[in-house]
Amino acid sequence: MARHKFNGGIFIKNPYPIDKIKIVPAPLPSKVVLPLQQRIGEEAKPCVRVGERVFTGQIIAKTEDDFCVPIHASISGTVVAIDKQLTPHHSGLKSGCITIESDGKDEWIDTNFGINFLRSSKKTLIEHIQKSGIVGLGGAGFPTHTKLNNLKNCHTLIINGTECEPGISCDDALMQNYPQEVMRGIEILLHICGAKHVIIAIEDDKQVAFEALLKYLHNDKIKLQKIPTKYTSGAEKLLIKALLNIEIPSNSFAVEQGVLCQNVATTKAIFDAVELGRPLVSRIVTVTGSAVETVDNYTVRLGASFAHIVNLSKPNTNLHSVRMGGMMMGVDVDNLETMICKITNCIFVNNRQKPIKTQGCIRCGQCNLVCPVNLLPQQLYWYAKNENIDKSLDYNLLDCIECRCCDYVCPSHISLAAYFVFTKALHANKVKEQNKVNIARERFEYRKYRLARNKKEHAEMMAAKKAQLKQKMADDKTQKDKIAAAIERVKKNTKNNDDTSI
Amino acid sequence: MLDSVLIFSLLALSLGLILGYAAVKFKVKGNPLVDQIDAILPQTQCGQCDYPGCRPYAIAIASGEAAINQCPPGGQEGVDALAKLLNVETLPLNDTYGETKPEHVAFVDETLCIGCTLCIQACPVDAFLGAPKMMTTVIEDECTGCDLCIPVCPVDCIHIKIIPSTLTAFASNIDEVKNG
Ligand code: SF4
Ligand code: SF4
Ligand code: SF4
Ligand code: SF4
Repeated sequence: MARHKFNGGIFIKNPYPIDKIKIVPAPLPSKVVLPLQQRIGEEAKPCVRVGERVFTGQIIAKTEDDFCVPIHASISGTVVAIDKQLTPHHSGLKSGCITIESDGKDEWIDTNFGINFLRSSKKTLIEHIQKSGIVGLGGAGFPTHTKLNNLKNCHTLIINGTECEPGISCDDALMQNYPQEVMRGIEILLHICGAKHVIIAIEDDKQVAFEALLKYLHNDKIKLQKIPTKYTSGAEKLLIKALLNIEIPSNSFAVEQGVLCQNVATTKAIFDAVELGRPLVSRIVTVTGSAVETVDNYTVRLGASFAHIVNLSKPNTNLHSVRMGGMMMGVDVDNLETMICKITNCIFVNNRQKPIKTQGCIRCGQCNLVCPVNLLPQQLYWYAKNENIDKSLDYNLLDCIECRCCDYVCPSHISLAAYFVFTKALHANKVKEQNKVNIARERFEYRKYRLARNKKEHAEMMAAKKAQLKQKMADDKTQKDKIAAAIERVKKNTKNNDDTSI
Repeated sequence: MLDSVLIFSLLALSLGLILGYAAVKFKVKGNPLVDQIDAILPQTQCGQCDYPGCRPYAIAIASGEAAINQCPPGGQEGVDALAKLLNVETLPLNDTYGETKPEHVAFVDETLCIGCTLCIQACPVDAFLGAPKMMTTVIEDECTGCDLCIPVCPVDCIHIKIIPSTLTAFASNIDEVKNG
């Protein structure tokens, strides 16, 4: 059991438990839609055209941006559209997507580019991981190669085997079914980061997964550790606090403190990429909720629609509300046509319920007790509601991890976290705008200075020229005088000579 | 008696000297009110306020020469912020100076551009890059969207481009949150 702990957090029972966790392979989808925008960085640019035939695993879009990974076709077939579509994002804005229609053959590009990691340099491996399109599969989607590149004096590697939220079981299923691959993946990561210790963190309710991994544990550097099944203990910084008692400040990353944290699914994806040469084209997704008959985990190609796997779980015919990700931090989506992307770890399909009416804050202080990062949501709510950014920042708004523990316990059903997300976005926009304004002011002032300088330089140049001319004229004059004097002298001399000759 | 008078007069003298020195040494440079007003103005530098840029307008407001509601890019929000700073009643934006347009930048249709460089001279923030008789282009990140370059182009090849909201720069709707 973990020695240290963090304050707050909540215990939530899995509302839809499964007796025996298994992975069901979903059939090949007839069509996939692959978004070009990743979590951070710029939108990838397509490098295929409509009508072009693509193979599974072929790169179809990429960017120069160092944060981003290329996008791979997840099935073989024909590109039928490159256009803007709705993606699972809480903005409801459309973004660029590539649509591929399957030819049903699933023909791969040549995947014989697996490499022997023990004989490869750190740089080659990281580049290979980037080329294989691997991002954090835990739900945040942070690019793995960026983490690896920013690593400083890594001492500990943490493999996060905790489900980030109650109700999700895809990582559990992965550990039970692919323990050997996960362990190989860990060896690869260890080779890259050179850490002294590895801790695999597993929640204490995942006994089967624990034993499965234990069977393949042959390295004394690696330690399996159970942690309490408490919500938000899977969050990177809190996990680090619980395991190592190291606090990562809000403006810094774990990798800067020598701790590398990787999710188990990402670790397996790294194994697939390095040993098998397969880019990331599929993932395991949990389908759960009150409106489906069987709760299960499916391996599915990226870009397939939610409906593709939800139908395998036999949903009822009621009106549904669909949510991607966990019940706490997920994103509501409009319908089941939404595509599965790299960060889709879970799909909740619930019977639609009337929204609960919110009431005013009664200052009960419940929210203050559960906040895992020790904020005061009650105070913060007050300022966020009035869009008071400065005061919110004073109350450490930027530390909020948007876990919604505060919402969960609030007797007035206030969506506290939504206010904090909004205020954070306001702050980010303000900072961006302020930067732009400052640049404009500076450039305007510089232009004024430049024009004045040009004018002055021009005037100085003219003055100098004038002076030069004058000097020259003056010089000319002395020259002329000299010549005149000489002539005079000569004349005089000749005259004298004449005088003497006579 | 005499020595205490002496001590106190020396003390007064030295303190006076220190204060006098500090007043000269740490004098606030420039006009702080103008700086504060200038900080609120949007720095589009478009001249719609009838002054040749935001700072000149800030100076005019500070001296009481101009009203606070003449800056269309700043919008009503800007007027309100100025009113708050100056502690006066806010005014509605005066639309004779123009209307607030959506956030945009200028771009040059490079196939038409003849490289006359008139736009380079018109731009208040040096956002143009180009060479005579070749072509010019706008550095998008530096453009403030003041539109001053559009009328000077002899072949009308400068157009405006509205900046669409993207997934990475997005603020949710607070009203939805409040009513949800
Ligand atoms: S959402 Fe933010 S304020 Fe609320 S409990 Fe989580 S971290 Fe604390
Ligand atoms: S839990 Fe809800 S009602 Fe209680 S103090 Fe926090 S915001 Fe107010
Ligand atoms: S109208 Fe506004 S943005 Fe334009 S120059 Fe005047 S103060 Fe600046
Ligand atoms: S490029 Fe045109 S619109 Fe943009 S700042 Fe310069 S003059 Fe104004």
